[in-house]
Amino acid sequence: MTVPSEVAARTTPHTVKRGASSPRDRHRTRTNAPRGRTSFWPYLLVAPTVLLIGAVLGYPVVRNVVMSFQEFGLRELVQGAPAFVGLANYRELFADHVFWEVVVRTLAFTAVNVVLIMVLSTLVALMLARLGRVLRVAVMTGLVVVWAMPVIAATTVWQWLFQSRFGVVNWVLVQLGLDQFQDYSWLANGSATFALIVVLVVWQSVPFAALTLYAGLTTVPAELFEAARIDGAAGWALFRRITFPVLRSLFGLIASLEVIWVFKCFVQIWAISEGGPNDATTTLPVYAYQVAQTLNRYDLAGAVSVITVVVLTILLLVYFRQSLRQETNR
Amino acid sequence: MQTLTSGPLVTKTYEVNVRKNRFAASALAAGLAASLAACSSGTSEDPSGEATTIDVWLMRDSVTDAFLDEFVADFEADNPNTDVNVQIQEWDGIGQRVVSAIASNDAPDVIEVGNTQVAQYAASGGLTDLGDKVSELGGADWIPGLAEPGRIGDAQYGIPYYAANRVVVYNTELFEAAGITGPPTTRDEWIAATTTLNSGDVQGIYLPGQNWYALAGFVWDEGGDLAVQDGETWKGALDTPEALAGMDFYAQLQALGKGPKDSDEANPPQVDVFSAGDVAQIIATPGAGRQIVEANPELEGKIGYFPVPGKTADEPGAVFTGGSNLVIPVATSHPDEAYTFVAALAGDEWQEKLAVAMSYVPNKTTLADVLADDPGAAAMAIGAHNGHATPNSPEWAAVEANNPIKNYMTQVLTGADPNEAATTASEAITSALSGG
Repeated sequence: MTVPSEVAARTTPHTVKRGASSPRDRHRTRTNAPRGRTSFWPYLLVAPTVLLIGAVLGYPVVRNVVMSFQEFGLRELVQGAPAFVGLANYRELFADHVFWEVVVRTLAFTAVNVVLIMVLSTLVALMLARLGRVLRVAVMTGLVVVWAMPVIAATTVWQWLFQSRFGVVNWVLVQLGLDQFQDYSWLANGSATFALIVVLVVWQSVPFAALTLYAGLTTVPAELFEAARIDGAAGWALFRRITFPVLRSLFGLIASLEVIWVFKCFVQIWAISEGGPNDATTTLPVYAYQVAQTLNRYDLAGAVSVITVVVLTILLLVYFRQSLRQETNR
Repeated sequence: MQTLTSGPLVTKTYEVNVRKNRFAASALAAGLAASLAACSSGTSEDPSGEATTIDVWLMRDSVTDAFLDEFVADFEADNPNTDVNVQIQEWDGIGQRVVSAIASNDAPDVIEVGNTQVAQYAASGGLTDLGDKVSELGGADWIPGLAEPGRIGDAQYGIPYYAANRVVVYNTELFEAAGITGPPTTRDEWIAATTTLNSGDVQGIYLPGQNWYALAGFVWDEGGDLAVQDGETWKGALDTPEALAGMDFYAQLQALGKGPKDSDEANPPQVDVFSAGDVAQIIATPGAGRQIVEANPELEGKIGYFPVPGKTADEPGAVFTGGSNLVIPVATSHPDEAYTFVAALAGDEWQEKLAVAMSYVPNKTTLADVLADDPGAAAMAIGAHNGHATPNSPEWAAVEANNPIKNYMTQVLTGADPNEAATTASEAITSALSGG
């Protein structure tokens, strides 16, 4: 069966994105505002926020961009007076194969994490919707606890779990008869380290996505599912034909938030592996940090972070463009 | 130099270290380090001009509690208008903290920096040139390995503070129990003795996988080096046959104990491991002996020292000559008081006391006699005849900041192909030394 698109449009929590763009909302806004002249109030109210963001975010970003066009090393940091070098830093980066490896690795890291996060959190959300009251509260509590756990604390516990000599993971594996894990150094192996960090990041991100999706699920009218079931839909078909289309924009929003979160993920990687071994877990943010802090090449690091922002923007533009097209199609 | 000695907290932390992890910010902010660097905590100054407080950063294991108390009390008595506020800094991540300190407008007045890192700071232009004070400080007698890294031409940015090199610290009781009568003098004897010791609950040697100073010594013994200069550029040299032979010996020795393959001597602190009593040997600076006894008084009188054995009995094993310099950032607001402090701490009276308290080599060759009665220092002095420095490039600090050698060692010890791992690590060293 197919859901009439009007039904979907009316029942979705589209206010998240559609908001003022729907004709109804626009009308309402206009009647509330004083007619005929532009009020200065909105601007005045928003001014402190804009100024604060400009000061704490805008200024460093501008400094960073400027630095990426300068020669800026330890000497310039201490003595000042950096010279402009045009695009030299960018040229140096683009000519470096290490940089391209890092870019590809970052994209792969983001893809793997986001796919896992979306799949797992969808499953958890669907499960939550079906659980009885007690179990649901138990699962939600578990999710909230994970979400509330400070990143560094969680990461430290993770390190202890996988510690080569005293870690409980190796102990369990050895107890299970896998003797090759006696004193196994997880962090000496590139793929193992990569996988370990992926699992950590996914574990930390699933709660937010799952809880948000679950909240979305509760807004889908039960009649829709009933009608679909009468028409013979079940399981996967129900999800594909009803749940997903109805919550499409919510899925899109969470996916983009997770892309941002994973792409700029730094603390977990740095605390666990510092980008090692042999750069196996060096993503763009880690690379920028290494270039700045170990090589003292603040100029190159500035260029790397500018590129990071550009790549992220491109990724998100693809998403926004697509969802915009869906809006107009509707 | 990153870690001279590793050990329990022998020194009291005088002030909570607020600057640590200042840069644990997001990577996007990495490029913004410059703008953030200015927000360091302040030196307090009495506007009436009655008393000045100078901030001093000393490194972990640089001084004992008792020494520091005595020195500060004496200094403040001699200089009634100056108060001293000493902060003990950890070696881990110190490079970033020093860089941001000397780039700020409000730096500490005196900083202790490692002798392999001082060249980089000196080249940055953020340190005060004390070239005109050298003769006043008796610079003609300074140990060259400490004085040279802090010097550019006639300018002297780093004032030698102390030096030390590694020896083997051993448990005499375990040696006797295993029937080993005297310390080994060659590598073969050393391996044989360690193999004998390594039985039951006893670890023949506790050698963590990432003690790269020890590896450097074995590489030098074979005639190799960590990096070699080729004209203007430096190249990592861990993939040479000599360096690989050094690593091979390290692996052989490392297997004669339960040292973790993926961490260094500071994590967990190897003196703590040794003080439990079932470790026969560690490779450490002689000061470790005192820390071991502090941690476990039952080992009093049971600690012995011998120089790291060489390939033949004629020559001791090569060792890394570590040490520290004292520097005064240009940004200090109290250059005169800071200099007075440096002159006192680097002066003969306190150098002798420090050497005795910590088993360190004093900063002047003329003061070496004070260690004549110290068995640890005696072993250190023999080893010092074959002392080496890290590659003499101002960029060397970049190698230590994200050390590819440690990673290489873990890789080899956990079964990776040594040739491949060495090539990768050498490339990483080359890249760090080329400044990009």
